[in-house]
Amino acid sequence: MLYGRGLRTLSVLTAATWAVALGLVFFYAPLEAEQGFLQKIFYVHVPLAIVSLCGFVLGGLFAIAHLRTRESRWDMRSYVAIHMSLILGVGVLITGSIWAKGSWGHWWVWDEPTLVSYLIVFLLYATYQPLRFSIEDPERRARYASVFAVTAGAFVPMNFLAVRLSSAYLHPRVLGGTSNLPGSMALTFGVSLVAVGLLFATLCKYEMTAKHARGQLRALRRRRTDELQRAGRFGF
Amino acid sequence: MPALPLHEAGRYVAGAYIVVFALVLIYVAIMAIRLSRMERQMQELLERSERPERPAQTPAEPLDVGRPDATRADATRAEATRPEATRPEATRPEATRPEATRPEATRA
Repeated sequence: MLYGRGLRTLSVLTAATWAVALGLVFFYAPLEAEQGFLQKIFYVHVPLAIVSLCGFVLGGLFAIAHLRTRESRWDMRSYVAIHMSLILGVGVLITGSIWAKGSWGHWWVWDEPTLVSYLIVFLLYATYQPLRFSIEDPERRARYASVFAVTAGAFVPMNFLAVRLSSAYLHPRVLGGTSNLPGSMALTFGVSLVAVGLLFATLCKYEMTAKHARGQLRALRRRRTDELQRAGRFGF
Repeated sequence: MPALPLHEAGRYVAGAYIVVFALVLIYVAIMAIRLSRMERQMQELLERSERPERPAQTPAEPLDVGRPDATRADATRAEATRPEATRPEATRPEATRPEATRPEATRA
């Protein structure tokens, strides 16, 4: 299986969508009445948050596929989805803090449920990699990581719903019943969401291609060493 | 809360977008380092597969020539005068034959 197939097309598509999204954000979308120019942060912050949470859930779904089939490729996909979501998560936390500083005058507010809940999810997933790499046996590692990914993946939507139900008026809502985005803003937001989604897909594909190539190289080296040992010579 | 003036809000907005691009850039840089390491390993593997391997554990042929510059020529001559059945290449596979008796070595 070649993971690199279609990577160039996907990369070009991602770059083009980002260019369109940035053009819409800065030249098309109107200024918001209350927050003014500062609201432009939402076009990158909210899509990052949505995509990263979806990535965590996707990691859980891939983990279920791994537990059902025991095929290592599903474990790799689960790992890559969670790994990329964590990277996007760093972006969410930093851009959110920047917005909070501009809007509320504080970098972080501990009594804001949306912020704290996202931080909890992020910290939960931050333990995924230490857990994964503390187990040496590859099969056990994949199995334990999958169980973690499924459990944490189920926690994400529950956490999201609980926070949304409990704090309808605290955190600004971009989507849902309380949102009244005008068409131009909704279009810009939609394109930004697609751009971040494509970025996530591209980075996942890059990571999987690199991992697959590294695995193949390792197998090649092992095979060569075995051949040399069989022929009674020194290997590496 | 009133909206921040453009010159002040602009810093925050620029900061947020720069952070996102910096994250992607750092990721791409890490991937580039990994890729160059992989390329180096691949090159190493290719070089090893092309290079003829030295025999291991096989004892070297005893050569009764003292002068280093005459070693190969004398060894070839001595090999030519040896009876065919006792020649090492007749009993040993090509891959494990010592370097001095290989055709490319005698040419050099």
